[in-house]
Parts: sequence; C-alpha cells; structure tokens
Amino acid sequence: MRGFLRWGRARAVDSGAGGRWPRGPAGIGARRILRWLWPGTLLTGCAPATTRATFWMLDPKGVIAATQTHYLALDVLVMLFIIVPTGALIIGIMRRYRGGRGGAYDAHWDHSNAIEAVVWGIPIITVGILSYYSVKAIYAVDPNRPAVISRAAAAHPGRPPLDVDVISTDWQWVFLYPQQHIATVDRLVVPVGTPVRFRLTSATVVNDFYIPQLVGMIDVMPGMRVRQALIASRPGTYEGFSANYAGAGFSWMDFETRAVGRGVFRAWVKKVQGGSRRLTYAQFERVARPTIDVSAHVSYYAWVEPGLFRHVVTEVRDGKTYPTPMAMTENMTAYLQSRAAQASAH
Amino acid sequence: MLVHIDGPWSPLLGRLALTEIPYKNPILVGTFLFAVVLAVVLVGLTTYFGFWRTLWRDWLTSVDHKKIGIMYILIGLVMLFRGFIDAVMMRTQQAMAVGPHSAGYLDAVHGYLTPYHFDQIYTAHGTIMILFAATPLLVGIMNILVPLQIGARDMAYPYLNAVSLWLTAAGAALVMASLFIGDFAHAGWFGIVPVMELPYSPGVGVDYWMWAFQLSSIGTTLGGINLLATIVKMRAPGMTWGRLPIFTWASLSANLISLTTFPVVTVALALLALDRYLGTHFYTAGLGGNLMLYNDLFWIWGHPEVYFVILPAFGMISEIIPTFAEKPLFGYMGMVVASLGIAGVSWGVWLHHFFTMAAAPAVNAFFSITTMAVGIPTGVKVFNWAFTMFRGRLRFDLPMMWASAALFFLLVGGLTGMMNAFATNDYMVHNSVFVVAHFHMMLLLIVYAIFGGVNYWFPKVFGFRLEQRFGRMFFWLFTAGTAVVFVPMFTLGFMGMTRRLDYVAFPQWQPLLDIEVVGIVIYVLSAAFLVAQLYVSLRDRAQNRVGADAWGTSRSLEWITHSPVPFYNFAVTPEVHARDERSWRHERGLDDAAPVVYEDIHMPCKTAIPLGLGALGFGLAFALVWRIWWLALLCSGAIVALIVIRAFMTGTSYTIPARDVEKMEHDRKRGAAKPARAQVPGGSPAPVLGGGT
Repeated sequence: MRGFLRWGRARAVDSGAGGRWPRGPAGIGARRILRWLWPGTLLTGCAPATTRATFWMLDPKGVIAATQTHYLALDVLVMLFIIVPTGALIIGIMRRYRGGRGGAYDAHWDHSNAIEAVVWGIPIITVGILSYYSVKAIYAVDPNRPAVISRAAAAHPGRPPLDVDVISTDWQWVFLYPQQHIATVDRLVVPVGTPVRFRLTSATVVNDFYIPQLVGMIDVMPGMRVRQALIASRPGTYEGFSANYAGAGFSWMDFETRAVGRGVFRAWVKKVQGGSRRLTYAQFERVARPTIDVSAHVSYYAWVEPGLFRHVVTEVRDGKTYPTPMAMTENMTAYLQSRAAQASAH
Repeated sequence: MLVHIDGPWSPLLGRLALTEIPYKNPILVGTFLFAVVLAVVLVGLTTYFGFWRTLWRDWLTSVDHKKIGIMYILIGLVMLFRGFIDAVMMRTQQAMAVGPHSAGYLDAVHGYLTPYHFDQIYTAHGTIMILFAATPLLVGIMNILVPLQIGARDMAYPYLNAVSLWLTAAGAALVMASLFIGDFAHAGWFGIVPVMELPYSPGVGVDYWMWAFQLSSIGTTLGGINLLATIVKMRAPGMTWGRLPIFTWASLSANLISLTTFPVVTVALALLALDRYLGTHFYTAGLGGNLMLYNDLFWIWGHPEVYFVILPAFGMISEIIPTFAEKPLFGYMGMVVASLGIAGVSWGVWLHHFFTMAAAPAVNAFFSITTMAVGIPTGVKVFNWAFTMFRGRLRFDLPMMWASAALFFLLVGGLTGMMNAFATNDYMVHNSVFVVAHFHMMLLLIVYAIFGGVNYWFPKVFGFRLEQRFGRMFFWLFTAGTAVVFVPMFTLGFMGMTRRLDYVAFPQWQPLLDIEVVGIVIYVLSAAFLVAQLYVSLRDRAQNRVGADAWGTSRSLEWITHSPVPFYNFAVTPEVHARDERSWRHERGLDDAAPVVYEDIHMPCKTAIPLGLGALGFGLAFALVWRIWWLALLCSGAIVALIVIRAFMTGTSYTIPARDVEKMEHDRKRGAAKPARAQVPGGSPAPVLGGGT
C-alpha cells in the first residue's frame, strides 16, 4: 500500500525548497478518482513495499508533469463518462435480448433518425470538448514556450532560470551548464523551484529525453536543437532515461535527476568547479564513443569549452558520426561482460 | 558508386560467409532443428498421401480467389505463430532481466537474450504481426469474401491476385530466412532513423527488413488495385452501391487506403535503400539529410495501414452481429459513411506518431484534433452494433462470442486511444508500454474479429462447421490470457515503463512483469485448445456438414451458393434484389430455387508464373541483402522476362459449357459431395501455364 502513502505525500506543501510552487491547475480530486478506478492499483497494492511501487505518471513532482497529469485525469474522466454507459448499454442489450427473451423482436427494424442523430451527436460533442482541452494543454506545456513555466516564473521574478544543454551520445547523457561552465555525464542536478531551460541535441541517433515525474518526453535529434523546460516542485531524486530506442546500449541509458535546494545547488556547483577535468571538444569525442553504461558511472567536468553544444550540432550537420562497431552488435557479449566486471570491481 | 562496406566481400557470395550462420546460438539452433523436423514431417505426409500433384495443380498454380485466400490465411497463421513465439521470448526476457543483480544465461549479462538479439526479436515481432500476420489474414479473408458477396466469379485480375500472394509469401520467407542466415533488423518494426543508417546498423539486418517489407508492400498494393477493380466493375446485376454488403464496403474503404498509401512506403524504403547502397543522404543526420522526412513518409503509410487492417475487422463484426441477432444491421448508411470517414481521416493523422518532436503547438493541436476525430465514426459503429442487437434474438454461437468480445476491446482501445490522441498525454506515454498495451487492444480487436470471421465463414469455404466446445474453451482462455498480460502492461505504463528494454533497471516493475508471464502461459495453454478444436472439427466433419446457409439466419449474397463454394462460385450469375439478398430470398421461400437456364462460364486458367515471380522476387531480395550482384541481375532479368512472356501468352482462359455446369449442379443436388477437382468437365482439369497444354 506504499503507493497510497506516496500519493498523499506528493501533495504536502514543501516549505524547505523555497516556498509554495504551483503544481498545475487544480485537479487533485480528479486524479484521486482516476487512481481508485485503475485496476492495476489493486495489483501493485499487493507488491512488497521494498519494490517502491510508484505510479510516476500519477505522482508528478514538477510543474510541467503536474499539468500533464491534470489534463490526463480530465481526459480520462470525460471518456469514462461516455465509455462506461456505452459498455453498460451493450451488456444490458446482450443480456436482455439473448434468445429473444426481451420480447419485442422486430426482424426488420434497422433505422431510426432519432437514434442515429444521438449516436453521431454523442461522439461529436465528446470530441469537441476534448479537442478544446487538448489545445489548451498543448499550449500550457509547449516545450518551446511552456505557458505554465512562464506564469510560475512571472510569480517569482527573483529567480533567474538555469540553462542546461543536453547532448545524448551512444549511450550516455552529457549535461552542460553554460552559466556555470561545468558539465556532468549521466547525472542531472537542478535547483528546486527554479525554471530550468534545456537545449537538447544528439551526437548520434534520436533519443527521447524523459524524466517521468518532472517532464514529458521530447525527441533529442542529431543535427537539430530542441527546447524543453521544467520546474521541480520538491527536492528528491527522480529517474530520467531515454525513452526512444537508440541501439544496443539503450536499456542502460538512464540518469538520476537530483532536485536540490538552491543553496545546496550552489554548493554542488562550487564543488564540481573545484575539480580538475576539462571537457574540450576532443574530450567530448572520447566520451561520445559508443559506451554501454552498465555500471551507472557518473563523471563531472570542472570546465567546459565554450560553444561546445553548438560545435556538436555543427559537426553532426557536417556529417560527423560515431559508428557502432560490429563488436557491439553481433558479438557484444564479451564487451558487456567486461563492463560488468569493471562495475563490480568498483 | 556503391557505398563501401566494412568486412569481407567476395564476388561470388557477396557478404555471405559461413560465419553468418548462427550455429553457436542454442536458441537459433533449436529453432532450426524444429523447422527441419517440421519440414521433414510435412514432406513425408505429402508424399505418403500422394498429395504432391494436388498441391501443384490445385494450390500452388491456382488463380482461384478462394484458394489464394486460404493460402494467404495459412501464411498469416504460420507467421502469427512465429510472432507469438517472439512475444513469449520478449516477456520472459523482461521478467528475467530486472535489476543489476539479475542472473544471466546463454552469454547474456541479464536474462538470456543479449541486447542485439532482443532488439531483433521485438523488431521481428512487430514487422511480422503487422505485415505478415494481420495483413495476409485480412487480405485472405477479403479475397475469399468480396467476389462471393458481390456475385462475381473471381477477382477482376485473377493472375495478378496470385502474383500478390506469392510476393507476400516471398517477403515472409525472407523474414524466416533471416533467422538462420545472418541477422534481422534491430531498429523497430517502423524503422528508427538514423539507427537504420549504415554507421549504426552495419550488418545485413536492416536490409532483410527493408526488402521483405518491399516485397509484401508491392504485393499488397497490387492486391488493393485488384480488390478495388473487382468491387467497382464485377458486381452482379442489381448489386447497386446501396445494396453492397457492409463487409464489401469495409474492404472498399480499406483498399482505397492501401492503394493510396502503400506506394508512399515503397518510396520511403527505396530512398533508404539508396542511402544504404549508394551512400546518398536522404535520412542521415548530416550532409543535408533529413531524418524527419523518413518519419513523415513512413507514417503517412503507417497510420492509414492501421485502418487498412481494422476496417475489414469492423466489416466482419458488422456481418456477424446481424446474423446472430436475426436482424438487419442498424444504420447501414451510417456504417458506410463511418467506414469511408475513417478511411478519409486516416490520411490526416500521421503526425501523432511523433508528437514529441517539439513541433509548434499549432501543428500538434491540428493533429491532436484530427486524431480524436477518428473517434467519431468509430463511436458511431459501436452504437450501431449495439442497436443492431436491440430488439433482436441473440444467439451466442462462437462467431458471435468473438465478435461481441471485440466490442469491448474497441471500448478499451478507444478510451486509451483518446488518451494518446490528447497530445500532452502522449508526451507522458509516447514510448511507454501504455502505448504498446493500447495498440495491442486494437490489434486484439482485429484478432477477435478474425477468429470470429474464420469461425463464421469456415463452413462456407469448407462445407462443415468448426467444433464449438473446444472452441469456447479456447475463447475463454485466450480472453483470460489477454487480461492477465495487458492489465499489468497498462499499469506499468502508468508507472513509467518504456518500450524495448532488454534490461529493466527498476525492480519495482518486477511483480507486474511476472504477472505478464503468467498471462503468456495462459495464451500458450489456449493455443492447445485451438489445436484441439481444429483436430476435432476435421475428425467429425461428416456430422457438421452444412447447406448453403450454414447458420440458418445468414443474410448476405455469399450464403445463397453451395457450401463449400464450387470453383465457379455461382451456377448462374445471381440477380440481386435487396441489401440482405439471402434473407430476402428466404422470406419469399426462394431458398431452393434452381436456375431455369444455365449459361457457359468463362474462367481463368491456372498458371505457375506467379509462383515463379515470387521465387525470383525472393532471390532478388536475398541477393540484394547479401550484395551478391550477379544473382540480383540474374533474378531481375528473369522477372522481366517472365512478365514479358506472360504478356504475349494467349489462351489464358477457358469456358465451361452450360451443360457441364448443369450436370455439376445436379450432382451436387443429389448429395454427391465429391472433391472439387472431380467436377471439372471431362475429367480434364484446367490447363496449367497459361493454356499451354
């Protein structure tokens, strides 16, 4: 029953992380109903507590994710309003007219203007309502210019947004912090309550950048740059990963996202800046060599070559690739075993 | 000019070498032994029963639309089995490879499949289920039914029909060949670019996928032309558009889709072939390539393809429910408009397959609304089926059980479909197993409609009904398996699990993955009951023979001719008086009305050329996969030569004289259930190879 507890905690006001942050439009009631209706709740309710059964979709910890969950609940409730009576109607008719017991058998009845108007009318009205909300939602969380982030930022003008540039490689995530001149591999750290603006590109193939509890999926494409944004509402550790198949190392392509208080974030930046490793473009090319990160290894760089992100985009547009060697396709077993041995040696 | 490929290449064998045979992989060796044993058993049985001659004359060289349909369905069933085995392997791998401490077997670090092997399995599963199971099954059913429903003797182009079949068979054979020679693609059934480009897929897997896809899509395009021409030009007198059976309307809508969209995927794959063989840059990330171009082209075909397979399924449900409700279909015109509406909307929704590409909000808004609009005609269909049952006399025979269960899949699939159509929901679940569970609901709807349709029309094609008791047990177990697999899968979607994971990093998903395996076991058990049903049906076929109207309350034109249908379909071309012609005749006591005057029947001759074209198509594709240039040139030349030779052939059809038709009809009346071949006049079966006797 751990899931229920987590659900309750998700709505606790977080005072330690810099005040009350909007969690999207009011829709908590709808979400709770949805949760109770979900048959799988029973299934996972029986799972041992150690498995940390969590419905990430229904347990948002960021402004964007909360807005998405709100509209998800709204959509489901409108649809259930149609689907449940229709299902009941079908079952009712099947029971009543089984073997002609319902009487009133009419061998030729096949048309009624009134009924046809209703059966066309109901879906048209439903689709109309849902279209309205869908368009509203699309503008609210548009990755290029998310309205809910702008609104939240306008309410707290004292917190300048943090920029993070994301580059996906085969098969790791490189996070550049251009304002802080630092970089990490496979670890994202963001301050709570602060808008984070991402620019994303890929050095190789298409990935989806996805942190279920904070922000929805966005395609990370080679030679192109897309934007995304988020505000974390609560401190915590959230799983992020690639959601789009990218090759043999795809299953291991996850990164932890740590949302920390703003003071903690500043201290963390200082600590990383105190390191010695430098991320030049040449070093980036070494990082971007096909690597299956079975050991969940994290690296930090104290200094990043300015313009690295743009350099990667330009090089890819000019035809730069990081080919997958045959050893990582047919004969990757040996490679995987050596990586696993390295991991256990750590 | 040709792109340079790393690794060995020889002029004689191309990239093919002994090392490409995966004899070290115990799974593939086991599969190979199974295939060999099966082949030996089949060859042995064919020889033992002296079936070779019949096989060649009545099946492999046949242009009869019913036999072609049956062969399509057999291909579909074989590939359905293969796709199901892939599914079993995926489910067991995911349940075994959870968390960093999960054990590894057979060289895998976690579970028993290495990532590269697992990726090929899910790609094969999707490719097979869509292109080589669902499509052939439905094309086969359309092939059998459409000419019968409109009172035609055969398809408009019987020879072309056989060409379509053997091209599809060649594609399926190529997918199977990739099991034992080389690899299959690992980039997903829809092909993920630029993973499919040479730097990221240096092997032959993508080439196998690409050419198998091409062969079957060319076959389906030709089939679409054929069905459209048949429906437009071959209707019996009196079969006006307003009287067209609803399944034929559904087929018409579906083939409008296939004719207009399959050429798009042919072009999309041809450009990919240029990238992989000539080093062009259509879909590469750099040097002017545009990977989104591939996504657009592919899904302009890909989404309509979904409706291409679902519309015939809707059509079958629309035929089964009225029969077992003993009432005409409610809202016929509405159903026709809805079918054409679904076909029409299908061209304007493709972008919802990549809502997450960060397009401008107006773009996503447009495609979100068009996608939701699909729900309008679909919703109308559900209501119309419900009102067909209203005031009816419902019998829940096996076909009706499958058809009515399909309605509930449409409800669940519709609910989750509307969730995915809502673009911001899609941002959350786009590549999650929630979407996987959603489209399996829709594909299971098709599977249920197919099982319903097969049970329903089986007596029309073979003359006896399928057994019901094992059939019902199969139905209930299959349904239980579906629930136990897909409720946890939907739940995992809400927990955030994404698709295509060879290794599952988060242990909290383990219990639900285990439950899915239980569901798979139930599916396997259900298959045993299907086999039992088929065995008992065959054994007891004498007791289950049926007349023209197998169910007593059938409604449309195909039920007025004999069961099994003679090779000329109707003794005389029927005159159509009503939308539900069989019911119309039944109500007027015309069930046993015999024709007054028989006429000569003009029929197409058998020919082995389509089989040859299929074999050469396979050879060409295989040669291209392995870059064996001399073989590719040889096969291309032979294909052109065969087409030219066929074009100059004369005597590709023959006539059955009226008195022979009359004699055959009289023999039937006297209850002589002789095999069809014995009924060919003068004991001389139709000549093989375009009349060159």
